[in-house]
Amino acid sequence: MFFLANLGMYVFPIILIGVPLYAWVKGVPVYETFVKGAEEGLQVVINTLPYLVAIFVGISCFRGSGALDLVSRYMGRLLKPLGIPSEVLPIIVTRPISGSGSLGVTGEILRVHGPDTSLGLLASILQGATDTSFYVVTIYFGSVGIRKTKHALPACLIGDLCGFLTGFIIWRLMVYGR
Amino acid sequence: MNAVWLVLIISGCVVALLAGNVDVLMSSVLEGAYDAVELVIGLAGIFCLWVGIERLANESGLIDALARVSKPVLGLLFPYVKDEDKIMGAISATIISNILGLSSQTPLGLKAMAEIKQIHGETYKGLHSMITLVVISAAGFCIFPSGVIALRAALGSRNPGIVAGPTAAAGFISTCAGLLVHRVLSKRPGFKP
Repeated sequence: MFFLANLGMYVFPIILIGVPLYAWVKGVPVYETFVKGAEEGLQVVINTLPYLVAIFVGISCFRGSGALDLVSRYMGRLLKPLGIPSEVLPIIVTRPISGSGSLGVTGEILRVHGPDTSLGLLASILQGATDTSFYVVTIYFGSVGIRKTKHALPACLIGDLCGFLTGFIIWRLMVYGR
Repeated sequence: MNAVWLVLIISGCVVALLAGNVDVLMSSVLEGAYDAVELVIGLAGIFCLWVGIERLANESGLIDALARVSKPVLGLLFPYVKDEDKIMGAISATIISNILGLSSQTPLGLKAMAEIKQIHGETYKGLHSMITLVVISAAGFCIFPSGVIALRAALGSRNPGIVAGPTAAAGFISTCAGLLVHRVLSKRPGFKP
């Protein structure tokens, strides 16, 4: 567990030292090459801005108006028969749309109920189960200037839903043993 | 995406009008536009760092080596680009970053998208590979969800890391399901470049 927790931390300096050192041994002019790449990175980031503005404006319109809360409530009724506690439903609805939004909901549940309660555990699992699909689709396709994303979003959203269900089933097994 | 964006905006405005909180809507929308700029500025440094490192890995031959190692596995997921080492290397680096939860996942992912676009454009092969990469990245299969674990630890959990196993399993299933949907939908007659 400790090793896993710090894996990312150890890999980071290894890459940071290893890659430039290897390139230097291979005779690559390291500083110039890095700067050229960094320039390209900056261009990529800037390319995504119009797409991010579009999607953020859409999402904040949906969230700020209260429409997201309404959808959460109705989705809640649909998902109730599955036995998913109503407190975590906003996470399921918000997670694919807004990473910071769902992290806020998760934080609130953990604060009110405690991180080690069964509800806190479920909220944490759902929050960690997937990434923010809307953001990923927007920024990936936006960076290469593609506006028609075909079936990327539906595929990601169905994937998210399956991830949530898996998380829920595992949580039930952990808490109730069935 | 057209339909999604319109639905978000129209339903938001209609609900705001009905609920009478148009002023909240206004400030929230402006804040959204501001957040996008803030996010891009925040990401700029990380992008420069990782794309710079990627360039070094690229020119020293490390990316090609990564491509050769990962081809047997990733070739199954990316049948249309498996013989292009530059693309396979970038895809491989993205997926490794994803699994380890490194900050390089988005910069390298966008780099991989650029490589695919450059060689294949918006052809069937290109789009098929791009959607595969997006589905894998969006599912976020990760052995250690650092954000949630940090939050749990900050709120006094006795065992913050207990969620890592379940989230990894959920991420794995999410990835498989997304790829399955992609596989089915890319066979439909409407999916033409």
